[in-house]
Amino acid sequence: MRYVIIGTSAAGLAGAETLRRLAPQARITLISDESHLPYSRPLLMYLLGRETTREKLFLRSPDYFREWGFETLLGTPVTRVDPGAREVHLADGRALPYDRLLIASGAKPRLPPIPGLELSGVFTLRHLADVERLERHLAQARRVAVVGAGAVGLKAADALAHRGLAVDLLARGAQPLSKVLDQVSARLLMEAIARLGISLHLNSWPTAVVGNGGRVTALALNDGRELPTDAVLFSVGVAPRVEFLASTTLAAPEGIPVDEHLQTGDPDIFAAGDCVLPRHLLTGAPAAFHIWPAAVAQGEVAGANLAGAARRYDGILPMNSISLRGCRIITGGHLTPDTPEGEIFEELDATTGRFKRLVFDQGRLVGATLVGEVRHAGIYFRLIANRTPVKDLPVDPRSPHFHPGRLWARPLPGAA
Amino acid sequence: MKTVIVRPERCVGCLQCRLACAVEHSQSKDLVAALGEAWRPVARIAVYPGGRHLSFPNKCRHCDPAPCEAVCIAGAIRRNPARGTTDIDPARCINCGMCAMACPFGVLTFAPTPQAPERRAVALKCDHCPDRQAQGRPPACVEACKVGALTYGEPAHALAEKARWLARTFFAAPPPPEPVPETIRLWRHLG
Repeated sequence: MRYVIIGTSAAGLAGAETLRRLAPQARITLISDESHLPYSRPLLMYLLGRETTREKLFLRSPDYFREWGFETLLGTPVTRVDPGAREVHLADGRALPYDRLLIASGAKPRLPPIPGLELSGVFTLRHLADVERLERHLAQARRVAVVGAGAVGLKAADALAHRGLAVDLLARGAQPLSKVLDQVSARLLMEAIARLGISLHLNSWPTAVVGNGGRVTALALNDGRELPTDAVLFSVGVAPRVEFLASTTLAAPEGIPVDEHLQTGDPDIFAAGDCVLPRHLLTGAPAAFHIWPAAVAQGEVAGANLAGAARRYDGILPMNSISLRGCRIITGGHLTPDTPEGEIFEELDATTGRFKRLVFDQGRLVGATLVGEVRHAGIYFRLIANRTPVKDLPVDPRSPHFHPGRLWARPLPGAA
Repeated sequence: MKTVIVRPERCVGCLQCRLACAVEHSQSKDLVAALGEAWRPVARIAVYPGGRHLSFPNKCRHCDPAPCEAVCIAGAIRRNPARGTTDIDPARCINCGMCAMACPFGVLTFAPTPQAPERRAVALKCDHCPDRQAQGRPPACVEACKVGALTYGEPAHALAEKARWLARTFFAAPPPPEPVPETIRLWRHLG
C-alpha cells in the first residue's frame, strides 16, 4: 500500500503519525510546498511579538521524518490530483502514484478586492516566510495597520504593539470578533485593547491601499478618512487551498466536502484540516472553522481511516482561546440558542472583570464564554460536546457551586 | 506506573496538600524562604467543597492520550513515558490558554514561574514532583496528606480494590466502604 499525504502541518502530521502507528510497514510520502521542518503556524504571531524564538517554532526534531520512516517531497507544490489514474502531479513535472491519499493542504489568507495590494508593505501572516518578509519591512516602520479583528488580527496587533510599534486595528463590525463574542465580553476585550495602546477603529474597512514610490503610505477607509501607515497586515480570514483539485469534482469553494469518516467523493481520498468543510458537532450543518486543535483531531481520524479503521469524526465544535496581554477569553459553541426556548445566562463581576456567559437550548448547554477566570472552560465544552442534559448534572452550570467538587465528589452509598 | 490516587471520601479539606505543593514548586523548597521569593509559589492542586462535609482534591490526571497535549500549539505539552506523566515545558509554553480550553478536569493554573523568568505567566499543573521522585520520595501532596485521601501507588491496585467492593454489591446490599477513621468522623462533627 502506498500512502501519499499532501500537507505537513497540523492535520497532515497528525494523519501521518496515526497512520504510521496502525501501518508500521506502509510506504508513506509527505508533500509540502514549504521546505522547512514542520512548524506551528499559530506560533508565528508569538514569534512576531518576540514571545518565542525561531527554533521553538519547530514542533519536531530535525530527524523527525527519518525516525518515523516518512518519505518527503518538501518545497514541491502539488499542481493537480488525478483520481482516475491515482496520481498526484507535482510542480517539477513528476507524477506520484498513490493507493490512498490524504489532502491536508490547509488554507491561504484572503485579501479584500481593493487597489494597492501590490505595494511594498502589504502583508498577510500564514507562513514562516511571511514573518521573515514582515520583519525586514518593520525595520523601517513605525506605524502598522492590522485589517481584521478576528483571533489572528487581535494577536498580531498585540504582538506588534508589544514591539513598540503604533498599531491601528480595523474591525469591520461594531466590535472585534463579532461572530463569536457577545457584547459584554467584547466590551471587556476592547478595554484590554485600549490598555495595550492599540487604536481600534470600529465599523472600518479599507477601500484602497495608498502608496508613494511603490511603498505603502496610507489606508483609504470606508468613511473617507485616510489612515497614514508604514505597513498593512491583512487578517480577514482564510480560504481553503484547493486550486490543485480544479480538474476534479472533489472540492467546493468553501472547502472539500467530506462524510463523517472524512472521506471525500473518492473512496481512496480523505481530507482533513483547514482545507475541508466539516460538519458542526451540534447542528450537523457544514461549518468552516479554522483552528489548530480541530486540524489535529481531523488528521488523527483521517490517518486512521487511511489504514481502514473506519473511525468517525463527530464534527467540529467552534471554540477558541483569545490570550492578549492582560486579557484572556475562552469562548465556544453557540453565541445564541437555535430555538426560541433557549436561554442565555450572564454573570459579570465588575470589580475583577470576570465574566461567565452560558447558552442553553432544549435542556442542554450549547455555548460558553469565560473572561478572566478560564480554568474550568474545558469542563463546559465537554458538557456541550457530550450533549449532557443539564438536569442530569449534580449541580446547575449557572450556580456559583459549579466546580469539580460538586461535580465529582459524591459520597459512596453507605458512607458517613 | 505509580500515580497519585485520590480518595475524596477521606478528604477533610485541610489544604495541607496545597501548601506542600506550592512549597515544593518554589525555588528554595522551604516554606519560610518561599514567602520571600520573587515568584510567588503556586499550588497545582485545588481542593473544592463537595457538599455533605466532603471535599474534593482536584489535580491533573496525566491522561494518556492527553487532550491538552493534542491542542497545544507550542509543542510544550508532551507525554513522558518513562515517568508516566504529561508534562508542560515552561520554556516552550506561550500562555495561550488552549490547554484550559481542552482539559475536561479544569486543572490548569496560569502564573509566573522561575523556570521561565522572561514570561508573564505559563500554564502550570501537577508534575508528580520530579525532584522528589529522583530522591525516591513520594509527591509533596501525598506526603502532606494526613488522612490517606492522597496516596501514591499503582492505579491498577486502587481499581481492583474498588472493583472488588462493587462486585460484592451484586450479591448483597452494599457493605460500607472502608471505614473512615474515628479522627476524621470526629473532625466532621466539629464542622
